[in-house]
Amino acid sequence: MIHRYKNNGYNIVLDVNSGSVHVVDELVYRILPFVEDLMKEGRKDAGAVKEAVLDRIHSAWAGEEPVNAADEEISEAVEEILELEAEGLLFAPDIYENYVYDFKKRRTVVKALCLHIAHDCNLACKYCFAEEGEYHGRRALMSFEVGKKALDFLVANSGNRVNLEVDFFGGEPLMNWDVVKRLVEYGRSLEPAYNKKFRFTLTTNGVLLNEEILEFANKEMSNLVLSIDGRKQIHDRMRPFRGGQGSYDLIVPKFQRAAESREQLNYYVRGTFTRNNLDFSEDVLHLADLGFKQISVEPVVAPPEADYSIREEDLPKLKEEYDKLAAEMLRRKREGNGFQFFHFMIDLEGGPCVAKRLSGCGSGTEYLAVTPWGDLYPCHQFVGNEKFLMGNVEEGILREDIRDQFKCCNVYAKEKCRDCFARFYCSGGCAANAYNFHGDVNATYDVGCELERKRVECAIMLKAAEM
Amino acid sequence: MKHIKTLVTRNLKESMKKGGCGECQTSCQSACKTSCTVGNQRCEKAK
Ligand code: SF4
Ligand code: SF4
Repeated sequence: MIHRYKNNGYNIVLDVNSGSVHVVDELVYRILPFVEDLMKEGRKDAGAVKEAVLDRIHSAWAGEEPVNAADEEISEAVEEILELEAEGLLFAPDIYENYVYDFKKRRTVVKALCLHIAHDCNLACKYCFAEEGEYHGRRALMSFEVGKKALDFLVANSGNRVNLEVDFFGGEPLMNWDVVKRLVEYGRSLEPAYNKKFRFTLTTNGVLLNEEILEFANKEMSNLVLSIDGRKQIHDRMRPFRGGQGSYDLIVPKFQRAAESREQLNYYVRGTFTRNNLDFSEDVLHLADLGFKQISVEPVVAPPEADYSIREEDLPKLKEEYDKLAAEMLRRKREGNGFQFFHFMIDLEGGPCVAKRLSGCGSGTEYLAVTPWGDLYPCHQFVGNEKFLMGNVEEGILREDIRDQFKCCNVYAKEKCRDCFARFYCSGGCAANAYNFHGDVNATYDVGCELERKRVECAIMLKAAEM
Repeated sequence: MKHIKTLVTRNLKESMKKGGCGECQTSCQSACKTSCTVGNQRCEKAK
């Protein structure tokens, strides 16, 4: 299976199953689908393929735009295609399906926890899935005791995995900062005895961020996620204080300081776009203009009835925005003023193995969320929905049926993903989105898919442009 | 090649052989918290 597209002046061909990426001229771009058909019919003899292609160009394509190339040129192009096919870099067969015959039998370990350190918040963001930190429930702060049990649970259920990830999340985790610090200390104390390595992440809205916190975070947190949506009017509209006034002016200088203190690495300024700012590329560029080098701005996960949720009719505009952003990023990069956009980052050379690419996002299996009182949910997006309560840090996983259901959130278990060119980059999409829109964690959420495919196309284009 | 330029990529088929150690980052944990993308994760062994 190949995926062929044009973006920013490049003709790109992705060979889905081998993961190879080719930049081709117009001639090859035109004849590839036809060669693919011939391959499918099992016609691999070079002479026969060339003849069939020439035949087709001279006759059947009469109605189409003519291919302006001499016969020798066309033969040469066909030869190049066949050479890549022989090397396994074009039309590679899908050999992976057999490896993942029974997802439910797959043994999984827990290796990442999202700790809801505080179900409370000092902002009142409009789209907050945590409902201003309250998560459909009471306000609460996680006690050190509960957090400690969570870390013990993680270590005990992580098998022989060394790297464990713990995200301090909220609400707003800085509202319970003391417990965060003690948990980091406790986690570190477990490392030598159990041969584990904790990677901590702190996600914050910045309101309480200060030098002392930053110093600790720079020492202990592998990643810092700083929530900001972009332009002042956009940010302040969606991320006000409870009294209604905006938070932009307060947090921007703090975030700039944080980014500099981390030498512009291992952090993200993280924003959400909604129907209210479909021109989100402006927000990304605004963040870049503020000096941030690691930027992530992503579509909101929201129920369809929310007035700010993204709809199908917004797709053309959003796709255009991604294209625009990619082209502008390339321009800035060439000027020596580049930045990273999380969703356009793709690692073609050192990216993950197939096993990882097939296994889905990990929610409900290797990744769990922990509430302030120690309940376990498949991920932060499901917290508070009792149907997905899986157990607690004391007794562990009590609902294996839920875990088994989440094991099926991957590209070979989902009908639509099987034929999707993005399947090895996307890994099957977000279960929470699927649930919000279709009431089924194993469904695919079409609007999300369209955007994901566009992002993969842009990301690959940016790589092709580096060549 | 005259008509085709190929980017250096990790061969997915080859990665079947040695992959699956599970040490790499959990997708949602990395930054986004709303969407699953694995193409940008780095293999721990490729470091
Ligand atoms: S974009 Fe959609 S269809 Fe394609 S792999 Fe991802 S979830 Fe599946
Ligand atoms: S279900 Fe969605 S939000 Fe939850 S871990 Fe997976 S990708 Fe992330």
